[in-house]
Amino acid sequence: MFKHLFKLIWNKKKQNFLLMSEMFFSFLVLFAVFTLLVFYYQNYKKPMGFDYKDVWVVSYNNSLKTKNTDSVNAYYQTMRKNITAMPEVNDISFCSDNIPFSSNHWTEGVTYKKVETDGVNWFTVDANYKNTLNVKLLEGRWFEKSDVVSKYKPVLINSDLKEKLFGAEPGTGKILDRGDKGKDKVKVIGVIQSLKLGGDYAKPAIALYNLADTGSYHWLGKIMIKVSPTKANAAFEARLYKLLANYMKDSNVEIEHMVNKRTEVNYFTLVPMIVLLTVGGFLVINVALGLFGVLWYNINKRRGEIGLRRAVGATGSSVSNQLITESMILATLSLIIGTFFAIQFPLLNVFDMPAGIYLTAILLSIIFIYLLVFLCSLYPGKQAAAIYPAVALHEE
Amino acid sequence: MLKNYFKIAIAVLRRRKFFTFISLFGISFTLTILLVLTAFIDKVVGDSYPDRKRDRSLYISRMTEVMQQDGTSSGPVSFYFLDHFVGSLKIPAALAISSGFSGTNTYVNNKKIAVSYKYTNAAYWDVMEYDFIEGKAFNKQQIDNADKVAVISEDMKNQYFGDIPSVVGKYIEADNVKYRVTGVVKNVPITSYMLFSDIYLPYTVAKTDFRKDKGYRGGFFGVLLAKSTGDVSRMQSEFNAMVRRLPMESKDYKKIYCHADPYIVSYVDTGDEKRSGVMLVLSIIGIFTLLVMLLPTLNLVNINITRIMERSSEIGVRKAFGASSRTLVYQFIVENIILTLLGGFIGVILSIIALHFLNSLNLIPNLVLSINFTVLAIGLLVCLIFGLLSGVYPAWRMSKLNVVTALKSQ
Repeated sequence: MFKHLFKLIWNKKKQNFLLMSEMFFSFLVLFAVFTLLVFYYQNYKKPMGFDYKDVWVVSYNNSLKTKNTDSVNAYYQTMRKNITAMPEVNDISFCSDNIPFSSNHWTEGVTYKKVETDGVNWFTVDANYKNTLNVKLLEGRWFEKSDVVSKYKPVLINSDLKEKLFGAEPGTGKILDRGDKGKDKVKVIGVIQSLKLGGDYAKPAIALYNLADTGSYHWLGKIMIKVSPTKANAAFEARLYKLLANYMKDSNVEIEHMVNKRTEVNYFTLVPMIVLLTVGGFLVINVALGLFGVLWYNINKRRGEIGLRRAVGATGSSVSNQLITESMILATLSLIIGTFFAIQFPLLNVFDMPAGIYLTAILLSIIFIYLLVFLCSLYPGKQAAAIYPAVALHEE
Repeated sequence: MLKNYFKIAIAVLRRRKFFTFISLFGISFTLTILLVLTAFIDKVVGDSYPDRKRDRSLYISRMTEVMQQDGTSSGPVSFYFLDHFVGSLKIPAALAISSGFSGTNTYVNNKKIAVSYKYTNAAYWDVMEYDFIEGKAFNKQQIDNADKVAVISEDMKNQYFGDIPSVVGKYIEADNVKYRVTGVVKNVPITSYMLFSDIYLPYTVAKTDFRKDKGYRGGFFGVLLAKSTGDVSRMQSEFNAMVRRLPMESKDYKKIYCHADPYIVSYVDTGDEKRSGVMLVLSIIGIFTLLVMLLPTLNLVNINITRIMERSSEIGVRKAFGASSRTLVYQFIVENIILTLLGGFIGVILSIIALHFLNSLNLIPNLVLSINFTVLAIGLLVCLIFGLLSGVYPAWRMSKLNVVTALKSQ
């Protein structure tokens, strides 16, 4: 039967070629849309890794005239005490300006067993970071006061970096080289759950956390403040602002809310997504209407043939099955070509995405195209089944 | 002749309403997408408020320094670099210097207002032509005296002062400092990132003194203005010569790249010396347009070809009476263009509705999209290309029909 259908398709190859190319391009468009959707969905499913609610961010710049490390330290310790003393503040942490949901990045390479891994996000944080953001510790321990004077500089890494460097082995206790020179050695003391720094839909980046030492206060630029959800209000924010601005007279001060920053950063992924979905949706509707029209028209043209089949004993359902199978074969042919191109993405590792995402997207697009073609040929097929042999043959 | 074609086209369109609907749907939606896209591009890169003298301006947005070990670091330039090196050029008539905008807060009656502020020099206000709703810009005298004065945007005025007629002379507090308002300007959307701000301040009132920092890189943008459009290329070569002579900042560096480019080039700058931003943006737009147009075109071709048989008797009769293939192709192309223009008309109406909807969403504050003549002209052009693309092949196939088969199949 299939052989016969192939023959029918081959007889009208010119017209079928156009239909097939339409299905082929729709497949490619769907593949692109599904790849992004699957990618975002997989990221969305992962836990955020920290609490952003009730966390405020203060941006400032160190504008102290003195270069003396001790006086800089004393200055910021006093400020820390003043802020912590406010009853609305639960926790406070000084850190480098690559905080979650910001567009600042500090990346460096680390070397483990002579293999260099590039693009590791490098964070400098103080010991309060874990409690302020409620970061989850997976193994090992968080920084302690005594860490400042240990032989190797202690660092924590996130689970994604651990996976990349050590696979299933525990990360705690391993020694890493900062950069590729082998001069600056650091020791992993723990692994934390990855933070989704770029918002709900972003992939957690590989990251390494190191403890702010006394020299860091020269250049740290952010303070994260965990406020009490019940006591902190707008009046408190104004008060906090005055306190900071009066204390750091020569600095620019800005207070932002983590919740708003998250909305903003999500917006940058969502808006292109919505645009893409609208355009993709429109293309699919367009293609569906076109397919439907062409199939419908073809059946009207093949009334004679169908009438003859009915006259020699074919049932209505076998006629409609034939038409549906014909379009499904067409779809299969274009999907084979489409998959050939789409499969190159995981094979060549384009855009550095896990192969699973591409494969899921290919599978989803295939199902979608089949469904579309099936639905579009259902009604024309039903119409064909309703053709009376007498009427159809009479027309000839 | 054309009138006849037009009549035939309308008759054909009315014969099969479902197919006409599919064709028009495809054409009009494709056009709507492309029109919204062009309206957006036109607004973001083509709108010349407030820098109306773009044709004789060059923008300096970034400097890249190559280190001895081939690492590079790159970012906006410093005030010192602009003032000391770029300021010494002979050809430019003026040099506008402004910092990138940064954020701070101000509190009015315990209500927080997020404020973007930016520092400028006096020439900035000569080079840029902001529309002043009231008052005027601060002048060189006020800058030299480090007067605490500010030009604010209309949005800022409404947020901070509320709906009152005049605010010139009143004080606005930002970053814990009070500034006297000298003027209010029409809003600039944030997409013009080199010019956007809520509050514009003299560079001398900044809390850190920019002039003391002798590094080349900082947070500043520069705009060079030439006396005439003819001077622009000379100005650019003078700038490039100056960059070539520039001493290295320290021993760590071996090469400095810095460009003074026309607006579009600097706007889409990728931050990478080897990859041109213009090419990147053009290829992204090109691929997108191709995909958006390709599928509906294929669809239209498909439908047109399917319907050949419907008109075979007409073609047969015309051929039998001596019409050449060329005349037939001509007729079908005209028919197709009429169909596309009809779709284009619907597309324009849909675009107006879509743009109205997008504007009401207010996704980017102060970015008001509109259909203008450029966009309409592009839309018309796209229509014609679309009509030709989807019309030529079916027409050619139709004209190749044999007279005998064409007449017989009926």
